[in-house]
Amino acid sequence: MMSHPHTVIIRGWFAFNAIVSLTPPVYWFASQLQTDLWGMPATVCYFLLISFSITASIVYAYLDQLRNGTLES
Amino acid sequence: MIISFGLLLLFFAMLVVILQRIQAHDHSFSSYAVGNRSFSARYQAMSFLNTWYPGAMFTAFGGMAAASGVISFYVLSYSLLTVMLMYLMAHTVWIWGDTFNLNTQPDLFALRFNSRLIRTVAALIGIISGIPWLVLGMQALGEMFKYLSLGALSFSQSVMLGVAVIAVRQFWTVKIGMRGVVISDYFQGMVAYVLGSLTLLALITWLIVSKGIHLANLPIEQFDLPGIGSAQGPLYLFSLILTGALGGWCWPYIFVRLFTAKGVNSLKKSAALATPLSMLFGAALLIFGMLGSALPEVKAHPNEVWFIVSQQAGGVWLLGLAGVILLAASMGHIDGNIQATGAQLANDLLGNYVNLDTRQMILFSKLGMLAITLLSSWLACLQLPALFSLAVLAYQGIIQLAVPQFLGIFWKKGNATAAISSMSIGFISAIWLEIQFPGSIPWAYGLTSGAVALLLNLFIYVILSWGLSQSHAEQQRVAALFRLVHR
Repeated sequence: MMSHPHTVIIRGWFAFNAIVSLTPPVYWFASQLQTDLWGMPATVCYFLLISFSITASIVYAYLDQLRNGTLES
Repeated sequence: MIISFGLLLLFFAMLVVILQRIQAHDHSFSSYAVGNRSFSARYQAMSFLNTWYPGAMFTAFGGMAAASGVISFYVLSYSLLTVMLMYLMAHTVWIWGDTFNLNTQPDLFALRFNSRLIRTVAALIGIISGIPWLVLGMQALGEMFKYLSLGALSFSQSVMLGVAVIAVRQFWTVKIGMRGVVISDYFQGMVAYVLGSLTLLALITWLIVSKGIHLANLPIEQFDLPGIGSAQGPLYLFSLILTGALGGWCWPYIFVRLFTAKGVNSLKKSAALATPLSMLFGAALLIFGMLGSALPEVKAHPNEVWFIVSQQAGGVWLLGLAGVILLAASMGHIDGNIQATGAQLANDLLGNYVNLDTRQMILFSKLGMLAITLLSSWLACLQLPALFSLAVLAYQGIIQLAVPQFLGIFWKKGNATAAISSMSIGFISAIWLEIQFPGSIPWAYGLTSGAVALLLNLFIYVILSWGLSQSHAEQQRVAALFRLVHR
């Protein structure tokens, strides 16, 4: 298990990813938005932002454990 | 046809050269079944992707993006969430696997719950559920050959050709085992997801620049997600993402990837390597499918979007390359499925009741792989009308392994009775619900049959885990298992 203090940040980030991916009111809200964000429809932005957040959290978690020497061989 | 089939032949020849250079290591069943837990992160990453994303991604999910729009992005969400889940369980599963020489997913069930019966139940659910997907994978190759032949081959001739190619490929899966699967996955994965992503980006550019298609030009319905009052139900998307993310690790051929890594570091690094590529590939494919839907030919045949756009953008050469990419993706998935099934037949069914030495285990594993290849090849050549429904049924069934699997890994409290009861009742309930209400359950607000059964499954597991007391010896044994992984 991850034991470094950054564990809280990483677990919190993982939990955030799960919540925004799975909570129905979040995607209902995105579907209701009629405006484009950065030239893209809101629902496409919603999925791309979630995907980016999940990807960044996993890469961050690995790099953090590598930096702190908490990764086992 | 000569160009497109020539490119496929060239790819296959390169693959055979790689496979021929791999030495078979079969001095132990672990060497044969999990490659002696020796693979570094880059092999792990590509092997995971090549098993996770089948060739049908280009047809079924590319087609879904073209036909139904943004809802197809659920596949990207659950594919990334499942890697997050892998990151969380990597430590426990790998340590248990290495310490107790676990070679299959049912091995982990048997260790955690100290039960011989659970090994059989988990293996049967895994094997039975995997067959329809194996057959669909072979038939998808037939669709590809039909398109690449430019009308020269009929559908049945194309399916037989697809089956023949994939059956020949299994010679090396049977001969070399997991080592051959992982090393070839690396080559296949580079073609399917690195070259595939670059090709997708080039095709997206072509659609935007040459055809003037933008997301903003597409019909507004393409961007709707099912909410309150929708036909699918407000919880439909939630259900798809939840069952997809949890269900991924229920497939034996995905789960066994956790045992092939050379360490926990290798597994976690593979997650960090695979996720960005998975995001790039998945997002590019789905945006490509949505943009492609503006072409009239794609509107008529959305599942052929990958071939139609490739041919229009780059003629027969690019069409051939599209075929190579799809073949590379299909092979990884089919090989992984066949390898894991063979290992389970020997290790978890026969080996669970008969004492087999290493040589016999490997022999029966090879015979199992041969038998499953022949059975699937035969089924793929038949026109089975209910095959897709069976595959959906299988998915709703196999995700019932999720409750005892994940709670077993993260919670000390579970026991064998709870695990066997919850997953068996969950499996039967999911199938009963899917048969009673094919497609959607009218009273479940969009939850799929598998998701409803999963709730029942969870309830049974928790109640029986709290309600049934374990012997002192069993409590000590489980506590020792968890002490191994707590640092």
